[in-house]
Amino acid sequence: MIQNFILMNGYGIFVWAAFAITFITCFILYYKTLKTLKKHEKDFADELNKLSSDQRTIVLEKSKIATKVLASYNKSI
Amino acid sequence: MFDVLNPSKIFTWIEKLIKFINSIFFILLLVALTFALIVSPPDYLQGDSVRIMYIHVPSSWIGLASFTCIALISVLIFIFKMKNLILIAKSIAPIGLVFTCLSIITGSIWGKPTWGTWWAWDARIVSMVVLGIFYILFILSNKFIEPESKATKISCIIAIFGFINIPIIKYSVEWWNTLHQPASIKIDGTSSIHSSMLMPLVFMLLVFLLYCALIFLMKYKTEIIRIKKKNLKRI
Amino acid sequence: MLTKKVKKRVSFLTIFLALTVLGVFSILKTLDRNLLYFKSPSDVKADQNISYTKKLRIGGMVKKDSLKIDSEDIEFVITDYKNEIFVSFKGTVPNLFLEGKGVVAEGILNDKGFFIADRILAKHDENYMPPELKDIIKDVK
Repeated sequence: MIQNFILMNGYGIFVWAAFAITFITCFILYYKTLKTLKKHEKDFADELNKLSSDQRTIVLEKSKIATKVLASYNKSI
Repeated sequence: MFDVLNPSKIFTWIEKLIKFINSIFFILLLVALTFALIVSPPDYLQGDSVRIMYIHVPSSWIGLASFTCIALISVLIFIFKMKNLILIAKSIAPIGLVFTCLSIITGSIWGKPTWGTWWAWDARIVSMVVLGIFYILFILSNKFIEPESKATKISCIIAIFGFINIPIIKYSVEWWNTLHQPASIKIDGTSSIHSSMLMPLVFMLLVFLLYCALIFLMKYKTEIIRIKKKNLKRI
Repeated sequence: MLTKKVKKRVSFLTIFLALTVLGVFSILKTLDRNLLYFKSPSDVKADQNISYTKKLRIGGMVKKDSLKIDSEDIEFVITDYKNEIFVSFKGTVPNLFLEGKGVVAEGILNDKGFFIADRILAKHDENYMPPELKDIIKDVK
């Protein structure tokens, strides 16, 4: 039963290769996307911290997105 | 900035959706894999190699559908100058490219045990490679052409021009003699796949679509943050 | 919403698309013969200046009860239900090469009815079903 599941009557190597390639590729794409997202969040937070504290307060008050990005960045560090 | 809807609302929705997909994704993946690899029967002719179909077919569909979306968005950008839509097109393109490549690779792996060859100069296969080239052109033109407004214009023209290839891919198996078999699931909804094999196919398609949605949302979020950062001083 | 500029762009796009579709279509039309992955036995019969030295591919169905396998020597008839070609081949064939199923043979045409293949590819159809079901269909027939 288990042997048959792995060998698949001789087609196992093809089936498993196809599935493995697909999942590895999908995982790499996911990982890369996540990394760029985190990097941009960090850049954004850095840029925000460069502003004077008055400006920063104004930005955070006016833009909800800025607040959220900053919060999610602070959570990740 | 985003004149269509309130941007901060969109942003909230994106975050919620990402969380939702993350919470259900692995359960669905496990169910789909169980169906595809264990529960579904082997084919009467192809045996167990038919299981490659469960990733090959959804990959191809996603490759075609993504390009269609990009082409439609490009038309909108071109006619109504809705430049912000390019962010959506740019977020879709990598997904489409990856799945087009996966479709070609898994097709090759499937071809060896069934047809007896990894590769054939067959109209369907070659037109699929051409689709991949159009994706690469679209992505590269968005990445390397300066200024951004020019990049948008050129990439839109590439996408609209490349769209002609989509019906060619779809009908290549009917117009010419090809090694590739004709479509099993027709546009009118009839299918020549037995229901016990159609179910895992639909499940796998669902999982793939969820994965695409996840990647798209993450990319889109990245693009929004990038734009926000650019305009930070102007807020 | 539909200002003059938008209308202009719509008409430009329509003309652009119409012209490119026409262009691509005519290119495909002229390439038509070369885009075929294989010729059918009827194509071979109709073609007056077919090459007897160049490699070509012939495809169709393996005629029922025509397949003779003698270890490595394989002989069969390719048919498209109108015309037939006798094929001779030495070597191994894919698992899916069976009587009544699709096949593509690569090799050299000896004369219009005899083909010497050096490679055999199997072509399967778009039907997928479990083996038990196939037996039931056979019994009904």
